[in-house]
Amino acid sequence: MIQHARVICTSFLVAALGLSAAAIAQKPFADVGKQPPITILIGSTPWYPAFEKVVGIYEQQTGNKIKLDVVPFGGILEKARNAVRSGQSPYDLMTLDTQWTIEFYDGGFLSPLKEIDAAFELPKEVLSYGDSGYWNAQKRWRTADGGKLMAYTVLGNVQLLYYRGDVLKQAGIAPPKTWDDVLAACAKLNEPPKMYGFVARGEKGNGIRYDWQSVMLAERASVAKDPAAGDYTVTINSPQAKAALDLYIDLLKRCGPPNYGSLGQGDVIQLLATGKAAMGDVVTAAFASFEDPNKSAVVGKLDTVALPRGRSGANGAVIGNWNAGIPKNASDPQKKAALSFLRWFVTYDAQHAFAENGGIPNRSDVFTSDLAKQPRFRWMPAYLETQKFAQQELGYAEGAQVEQVLGLRLNQALIGEMSSAKALNTAAREIEDIFRKSGRKTGTLPPLPE
Amino acid sequence: MNTSATALSLPRSATTTPATAVGGGWIGTTLLALAVAAVLGPFAWILTASFKYQIAIYSGEWPFTPTLSNYAEVLFGRRSDFVGNVVNSLIVASASTALVLVVGTLAAYSLQRFRWPVWVSAGFLGWTLVFHMIPVMTLIGPWYVAFRELGLYDTRIALILTHVTINLPMTVWLMRAFFRELPPEIEEAALVDGCRPLEAFRRVTLPLVIPGLIASGILAFIFSWNEFPVALSLTSRDLATVPVAIARFAQQYEIQHSQMAAASIVSTIPAVILMALGQRFIVRGLTLGAVK
Amino acid sequence: MRENSSLTLVLNRTFRHWSLLPAVALFVALTIYPVANLFRMSVSTIEFAQAGEAWTFTPLRNLALLRADEVVPAAVRNTLIFVVAAVAIEMVLGLALAIIVAGAARGKGLIRTVMILPILVPPVAIGSIWKLLYNYDFGIFNQTLAALHLPPVNWLGSTSLALWSVVIVDVWHWVPFVFLILFAAVEALPVDVLEAARVDGATRWQLLRRVMLPLLRPAIVVALLFRTILAFKVFDEVFLLTSGGPGTSTELVTLHLYKVFFDQNQLGYGSLLSLALIAAIVAFLLVGRQAVRLARP
Repeated sequence: MIQHARVICTSFLVAALGLSAAAIAQKPFADVGKQPPITILIGSTPWYPAFEKVVGIYEQQTGNKIKLDVVPFGGILEKARNAVRSGQSPYDLMTLDTQWTIEFYDGGFLSPLKEIDAAFELPKEVLSYGDSGYWNAQKRWRTADGGKLMAYTVLGNVQLLYYRGDVLKQAGIAPPKTWDDVLAACAKLNEPPKMYGFVARGEKGNGIRYDWQSVMLAERASVAKDPAAGDYTVTINSPQAKAALDLYIDLLKRCGPPNYGSLGQGDVIQLLATGKAAMGDVVTAAFASFEDPNKSAVVGKLDTVALPRGRSGANGAVIGNWNAGIPKNASDPQKKAALSFLRWFVTYDAQHAFAENGGIPNRSDVFTSDLAKQPRFRWMPAYLETQKFAQQELGYAEGAQVEQVLGLRLNQALIGEMSSAKALNTAAREIEDIFRKSGRKTGTLPPLPE
Repeated sequence: MNTSATALSLPRSATTTPATAVGGGWIGTTLLALAVAAVLGPFAWILTASFKYQIAIYSGEWPFTPTLSNYAEVLFGRRSDFVGNVVNSLIVASASTALVLVVGTLAAYSLQRFRWPVWVSAGFLGWTLVFHMIPVMTLIGPWYVAFRELGLYDTRIALILTHVTINLPMTVWLMRAFFRELPPEIEEAALVDGCRPLEAFRRVTLPLVIPGLIASGILAFIFSWNEFPVALSLTSRDLATVPVAIARFAQQYEIQHSQMAAASIVSTIPAVILMALGQRFIVRGLTLGAVK
Repeated sequence: MRENSSLTLVLNRTFRHWSLLPAVALFVALTIYPVANLFRMSVSTIEFAQAGEAWTFTPLRNLALLRADEVVPAAVRNTLIFVVAAVAIEMVLGLALAIIVAGAARGKGLIRTVMILPILVPPVAIGSIWKLLYNYDFGIFNQTLAALHLPPVNWLGSTSLALWSVVIVDVWHWVPFVFLILFAAVEALPVDVLEAARVDGATRWQLLRRVMLPLLRPAIVVALLFRTILAFKVFDEVFLLTSGGPGTSTELVTLHLYKVFFDQNQLGYGSLLSLALIAAIVAFLLVGRQAVRLARP
């Protein structure tokens, strides 16, 4: 009965997809042979439609079936955990946010891709995204150095600096190269409540943590000294980190709306889409919606550059990618089928089709293809530039706890509940405590003068 | 209280409800108008949002050019299973409501009328209340494992059973309160007249708590209708319910307010109709029995 | 119905026994395992390795984590303010509306349907939509204020106001719950008692205080009880509106629990936090009951 319902629904899905993909009946991008049907766990995200289209092409070309279990963003982790923790996994492939992958790698819940097929190799054009698909079990760290390939990026997101080309040009301002440029530009452009100079997330939690860390990296500051080598000495209360925090507070307070302390990604996108903000720090994946006249009043007006340099001269950006991995408790034929799809998905043609339909490709050669010349892909150069310096952050088992500490203390500094020095000292003490409790080699810098 | 059983069990005429004596007056009318406006305000906002493009919602545009595209996308979009989601929700919510009403009302009546030892009655009532306090997120893991072992993962049965369990505490406590309001003499009189216990319960007591049954039913229906975490964990895409589908509009980087609003409106209509039907079913079924 | 069928006979004779059975059976089947598991987790540390779970018995460690958790005091304080404020307002409004609507000569069914609309909307939609209503630059509240030439209000971004903005949403959402229960209770009141009192010349106010409220007590208690429990458990709307910020101004126990149990995957400490929340609700209810008893003459 249940089986029956599933079959009906799957074939319905296929029929619906087949319709749109009918025009692209052609030789497969990669020869994957006949494979059993698989189920993919995937979240409801702005790039999901692009992924769905590409899956449709795969089904069309290969005749293999894929069922997409698309769940709300807030439900993916729960479903993925349930799937791997008992019995046989209902999913054969799971797309996971980079922050969550550590838990799944470290817990041994995913099959290393080479154990499914020893011959599997990622093409060299596939971007590494800070080695987020590799896991070195000895070091408990994501690195290709001695690590096994557990998953790879289906969508790599980084923040870009979006700016209104028309507004900056009119004011005679060049696209900012440093955060001080941003500050200077916003001093000229800021005209509240008609126009805010620059917007970024100040919201407690992941929002401020993620956006601020780009500035932190640009000031050459860090959270812990050298986690890759096992040194978890907390360095978040360094003078460089304080400079980064003061700069960030300055940016948000001087250039943003009065509710800077509660501004989330949705608010930032809303301010840019309505034309109320001249510049903003937003994910690449949002670009497509700014070009959609149903969602944006600034179609064709937003341009992007890589996130600016700090006073230290360095660039900084944090990677927020989605990785696809295969659960250890899926059956062997299913695992092979899932890997076959992955092999197909990283081909140039598949990535090209993914990008054309609104996804962010993971291959460098797509970024330099004919697509990059089209106006709607004008974000591509900035994205590729960002890949040179973008990093993974909080890549340890305690990452979620550290995020909660930073997310709160940074926000408190922003809204003036604490000085920046006190916020960072407090965070350093709390993070050191977290590392100590989990048995890391840790310590902290001398406190900043408060 | 020395009222006769027959006087109370007679159906009341609509005009002589007790509260007519207390409510009313211009203060009451003003307050009521304010309350209805306060309820309808945000609801009207949702309704207009469902006819707007996202950008018009973002900028708070007024007046605006209406569009039906959100409804088209929600109902007929290639990626949308929303009609199926509504059907799932209707099945799960009605089945779990019917079950919880039967099971819960029987239990409430039993606890109120029969002399159970204290450890049974207090134990059961306390257990349901404490269970109701547990944050649902901590229950999901074990339920997932259990239903998977039983082969009931991704079935409506699993969802119906869990929803009955989640709603049982409130139903039992509520119905118990309504049974408590009834003087025991009514039923005793019926028993003296030769009614069997079950008959007395069905024909004399139940018709007197119809308002309670309706309120409990509406609440159980709504809580099942809007239950998110369990529905998410125990089903996959084919059996997803309305709140899971609506949560899909709250995406990682952007919330699709326009479609979310349209989906909220679309899902409200069958729910309201079904609740009205259910209510009529309860009233008909019980009053017919009572008149005999 | 054949009065003398043997099934009817058996059902009647054993009514007392089987009437409670389905509820008990269901509860035993579906709650024992998760609740036992919750207790077991609360005294353990659970780690995941080699695709399996490793449980260690660490009750003291979990307690130490609770004691050292710096977010808990603020979360408890906010939760108490939230519960007391929201539930009090909802009870008063819900009761008043129930009495007024029950007294309406006509259109009761329609009014009731309108009144329950807010609880029909999924909480995730309520949170998302109210966030837009509260939006500083484009929200309808600030647009209205602007039209009246008043300065805009920082509804969700101000530490002193955010919790109250959240309370307003909760009141909008949950007054219908109280209303629905109490409206039914008013409708079920025995007519003749009220009639008798009125004939005796009681004023409206006396009728309400002396006759109706005492009769409504069981329903009021249940509405209060369940509304209080649900208010302690509030999650979705606040999560979407403020995520507990700015600072700790709207941090609630359930939001913190979500972060610990779910985001950080600390199942042991998270379960202990969950049990602590239950204990807090029980204590709150008992203190509340005692206070009411003492206050009564």
